[in-house]
Amino acid sequence: MTLNTVHHESDLLVIGGGIAGLMTAIRAAELGLKVIVADKSNVRYSGAGATGNDHFQCYIPEYHGDDFNAWIEEFQTGQQATIRDIKFIRTWLSRSFEIVKLWDAWGIPMKYDGRWEFAGHGMPGDMLNHLHYAGKHQKRILENEARRRGAVIINRVMCVDLLKEGERVCGAVGISTRDDAVHVFRAGGVALGTGSAIRLYPGCTPSCLFNARLCPNCVGDGRAMAFRAGADMASLEIPVFRCGPVYFARAGKATWGGVLRDPQGTPVGPFVTRPDNRYGDPVVDVYQDIFMDYRDSARGPVYMDCTGLDREGVEYMTHWLENEGNCGILDFFKKEGLDIGSTPVEFRSYDRELSPRGGILYDENARTSLKGLYAAGDEFFGGISCAAVFGWVAGESAAQDIKALGNRPEASEPESLTLELLRAIRGRERDTRHATWQEANCAIQQIMGDYAGIPRSENMLKAGADNLERIARRARATLAAGNPHELARCAEVLNLLEVGALILHAARERRETRAKHIRKDFPFTNPHLNKLLVLRRENGETQVEWRAVRKR
Amino acid sequence: MPPVIHADLCKKCCRCAEACQSDVFYGSIPGTVPAVTYPDECWHCNACVMECPAGAVELRIPMNLEPMYQERR
Ligand SMILES: Cc1cc2nc3c(=O)[nH]c(=O)nc-3n(C[C@H](O)[C@H](O)[C@H](O)COP(=O)(O)OP(=O)(O)OC[C@H]3O[C@@H](n4cnc5c(N)ncnc54)[C@H](O)[C@@H]3O)c2cc1C
Ligand code: SF4
Ligand code: SF4
Repeated sequence: MTLNTVHHESDLLVIGGGIAGLMTAIRAAELGLKVIVADKSNVRYSGAGATGNDHFQCYIPEYHGDDFNAWIEEFQTGQQATIRDIKFIRTWLSRSFEIVKLWDAWGIPMKYDGRWEFAGHGMPGDMLNHLHYAGKHQKRILENEARRRGAVIINRVMCVDLLKEGERVCGAVGISTRDDAVHVFRAGGVALGTGSAIRLYPGCTPSCLFNARLCPNCVGDGRAMAFRAGADMASLEIPVFRCGPVYFARAGKATWGGVLRDPQGTPVGPFVTRPDNRYGDPVVDVYQDIFMDYRDSARGPVYMDCTGLDREGVEYMTHWLENEGNCGILDFFKKEGLDIGSTPVEFRSYDRELSPRGGILYDENARTSLKGLYAAGDEFFGGISCAAVFGWVAGESAAQDIKALGNRPEASEPESLTLELLRAIRGRERDTRHATWQEANCAIQQIMGDYAGIPRSENMLKAGADNLERIARRARATLAAGNPHELARCAEVLNLLEVGALILHAARERRETRAKHIRKDFPFTNPHLNKLLVLRRENGETQVEWRAVRKR
Repeated sequence: MPPVIHADLCKKCCRCAEACQSDVFYGSIPGTVPAVTYPDECWHCNACVMECPAGAVELRIPMNLEPMYQERR
């Protein structure tokens, strides 16, 4: 099997046209760079924001008050505090209103009924900082803004490795997901916006790999590429999980305005007793194990019960669910002849579907530790507004650095071990002697769920690392792909193996319990380890560094 | 499983196939009714439904993904 090669040149290559990537493209193009966006899907409906989101975390002076410092202080002590450096948090939130105004001007409705509407992700009495916005058509609008500024969008190309010239990142190689072609991109710099690392852990329906809480086509490709190129990675050992409707994972929880109740109708938490669209039921934000505890103590299941919302309240909630891209579940109930306003919907934690709290360590300027490499959004963690703000910032940093570059060195032959492996995989017969990507993906999920889930221990993590390495060798030797689509899925499997191994490595290094990184052999939180755990590859070895974080 | 195409309504434009982030309709050729090649890779994002100019696509939620609910108390 031969793969034809297609060459591309630009000032900036953006890998992943999600929220972050499109914002980078828009900003870099308007600052004068020649920009190419490569996406494995179609940017119009790709990524976690495909058909909408509805909560935009932000600071709006006319709503929150003019004292940004006081507001940040409160933010940092509240539920939303993160492990990032204070400079990062300040940049994110101080620039969030600028992006809100831009999006509104571009046609993404950021106001509701003429006002800033804040709701969800908060307790009664708390400051609210999630703006309700109507994101249903956001991707199409951002795509148009990028094209209008001259950015070139190449859909259905999955990037698999970064290219370097000395210490500088200068492009990438990718494969077409629709025909047998290799794409070589040469650029002055590369911005990564490939989203989260999903499909690594078993979901709530393991037989269905794509029933995921977040975008199942985002599998940590950016993390794997950046790590292979030598970038600093952080906080991969801290897992997070979410909750939502039983068995239908993509519906989330934050937009539901009901009360979580037991089968007899008693509220399970102390915060709300009547449905309230302003807060939803925040009990799960502070007590994530509640569903498991109810089940295991014979008090479950737990239902999201919106009974008591008036007609207007149900319409309000439905409006936001539609804008969050949740028409699938709404249509299901409609076809069942049921009203979600009066049907208790069973909820659960997707407690095995873990994703890492961190990823590529990028700073307040969206720069990574490698020259010429920028990253934003769920390449670390942070939701829509984080992706939008740092995508924008990445465009500014790239424009500044790339314009100062001068003449770029002659390009040498692209080197990519991943590409060599993919050529071999595509060359194998797709028969029962060889493995499918699904088989490998399930094997990875089993190992990650059983050996690097919750809780953890050195013995299990060590065994998990050895087991995963064996599966990796088997995958490299026996995966086969019958067409370009399957080849891209095989490439995803190789990246899942890379990110899985990295998580196992990091989890062994953090010898304490912190958040949901629960170590049975170190059952306490060590105040001396309140630091970022940074991993990087140097000369084929994984180096580990503990780095202090300035929180104030 | 997931997307169901009503061939009698379909205009064979393949806009649904272009929209799908998972390429569930891989191999579809404009001018013909799209093929649902990889139904297991559907994320139920609804993009194909939104994009269809003829109301010819609907999603069927497979049994093992069905939301569970409490019958009226
Ligand atoms: C149903 C749902 C509701 C949500 N609601 C909210 C909300 O209300 N508020 C909030 O803050 N967050 C919400 N989120 C999370 C939010 O959508 C994400 O945090 C956000 O989209 C991240 O943006 P991103 O640009 O980093 O990644 P994404 O938007 O996921 O984009 C990643 C892009 O990279 C592409 N890609 C991946 N790998 C490659 C590769 N190797 N080569 C080329 N391209 C690649 C993908 O196709 C995709 O286009 C929600 C998520 C879901 C699923
Ligand atoms: S619902 Fe989304 S993932 Fe499923 S076929 Fe339609 S566009 Fe593709
Ligand atoms: S978008 Fe609708 S009309 Fe066009 S091919 Fe798909 S199902 Fe048919």
